Amino acid sequence: MLQIDHLYKNYGKFQAVNDLTLHIPKGDLFGFVGPNGAGKTTTIRMVCGLMLPAAGGIMINGVNALLHQKEIKKQIGYVPDFFGVYDNLKVKEYMDFYGSMYRMSSREIERISDDLLELVNLSDKKEVFVDTLSRGMKQRLCVARALIHNPALLVLDEPNSGLDPRARVEMKELLLNLQSMGKTIVISSHILSELSEMCNSIGIMDHGNLMAAGRIEEVMEGVFGSNQLIITLDSGRETAIRVAMEYPGVKISSAGEQEIRLSHTMTKEEIAKMIGAMIANDVVVTGFHKQEGNLETLFMRVTGKEEGGQEHVAESNR
Amino acid sequence: MWLNPIVKRDVRVQSRSMKICWGVFAYELILSFVFFVAMMVIEQGNRYSTNNIYSALVWLYPVLAVTQLIILGIVVPVRTASSISGEKERQTFDIMMTTGMTPFSIILGKVMTAVVQSMFFVVASMPVMALCFVIGGMSISYLFWFLGVALLVSVFSASIGILCSSLCKRSISAVIMSYVFYIVFFVGTAAPFFIYAIVEARRSYQGMAPYNHGENTALFFLLNPAVYLIEFFVKVMSGESFVSIFSNLTGTVQKKELISYVASGNWWMIISTVLFLAVSFSFLLLAARRINPIKKRKVKV
Repeated sequence: MLQIDHLYKNYGKFQAVNDLTLHIPKGDLFGFVGPNGAGKTTTIRMVCGLMLPAAGGIMINGVNALLHQKEIKKQIGYVPDFFGVYDNLKVKEYMDFYGSMYRMSSREIERISDDLLELVNLSDKKEVFVDTLSRGMKQRLCVARALIHNPALLVLDEPNSGLDPRARVEMKELLLNLQSMGKTIVISSHILSELSEMCNSIGIMDHGNLMAAGRIEEVMEGVFGSNQLIITLDSGRETAIRVAMEYPGVKISSAGEQEIRLSHTMTKEEIAKMIGAMIANDVVVTGFHKQEGNLETLFMRVTGKEEGGQEHVAESNR
Repeated sequence: MWLNPIVKRDVRVQSRSMKICWGVFAYELILSFVFFVAMMVIEQGNRYSTNNIYSALVWLYPVLAVTQLIILGIVVPVRTASSISGEKERQTFDIMMTTGMTPFSIILGKVMTAVVQSMFFVVASMPVMALCFVIGGMSISYLFWFLGVALLVSVFSASIGILCSSLCKRSISAVIMSYVFYIVFFVGTAAPFFIYAIVEARRSYQGMAPYNHGENTALFFLLNPAVYLIEFFVKVMSGESFVSIFSNLTGTVQKKELISYVASGNWWMIISTVLFLAVSFSFLLLAARRINPIKKRKVKV
């Protein structure tokens, strides 16, 4: 759906986007994560045709976005981070205005905007003036507006900024609903917990570089490693380490008084055998589990804000 | 029929606002005031004259028409100068640029809105203007002439405003720049004629060369809004060409001079109109290019 190849953008000497290559398949809900100034908005603006890259290519549905602007505009729906509305314009007129910008007939606009307003839960606000809506409602209306021409790709830049918790939940539900309808969605956000709940793939940017990208579980696996085991114990630490080291491919990552972290290449059966051997050697094992990462720790590690972060990313990228 | 959505939206939104009502009220008030002042002056002038007052009343037409054109010339750039920068300030510009509309159709929509509004004002002033025709002495065709000139003034002023709006980030800067453009057109087009005349007068005074009027430098006046309007009203009121009279002041213009052909008949008005339209169109193209974020330039792939 969206293919970005070696994209560069600079503002004077500042490199905003540096050699960004990214592929987002059709139907994905892709989360763009990164600190302020990472280059997310710049990338989004280039994808939407609001900015010209210094170098590189953008293909949307197989169409070159830099050469065929008119065609691309039909394929993209854009929701910016900050946007205003027109005074003295009703919700249905707002939809009509943007629909007619795509040269849609009045009848078509009316039919589609009825459906969209229902989708975003604003069907009872059709006759209400847009400037009187709450921020959350305006945001949902903006999403409906971006969908009026039935674009294949929906791009949202920080859609949840400034929204109250309820409006955020509504927005999340709306986006999941749209994804289930087959829309490809690109969303940038700072709220990592929300992204992890709805996105199936992510891209982490920092200082203009794409640090990691792909399916969330794949990125996690790449960064944290798939075979991290945490064993908690009451006593017998030394024995436990000795037993563990007897198994092939086991490396002790850390060993505390009551917790041992290790990486391994064992099968489930071998893990069970190892734990059994520890118990047989009088180690009091109180529990063991596979290490699970979350988006926050992933982000911190990838952007190098957690110890060993950059090394992990380099390793996972290899 | 597809109506530019920007025109449709802007007209709808502005018609709901009280601003437009107050605007029309102020416009009519100014015209009425000018009308009564002009009537008083005419009446005073004819008090001790044997001339028929009705022959003097025809001058109400140019007085009211000039007043309207001046108002349009002042107001239209203000409206268009804030149109693109206003969208940017309102943060609706980016959304607009990602829709199916081309930059030129966005610019055209903004200009058309300004023209529609100004013509709305002109039409609203018709009852006052009609008084000039009720009294007699004026043909109704002059009314349509006036509408045509008002339309041209609106298009020209709007194109200046929209260009400045595309160049400036803030509305106030765009408005100021629009008036600077006006000065360039009013003064800049008159400058070659007067500079040439002064230089030639000095050379002649110093006995370096016989005085050469260089009447062809008056061709720059083709793009001077003031000369255009004066030519129009002199033509309407007396049937003569102001430019022809002006360029013949010295009586030295040769028939072979280009100015003598251009100033004959209605050619000055026709050529000047075409030039103003061409300049307006090029301003619109420049503005459209200016707002287009993806300008045609090479991107290394």
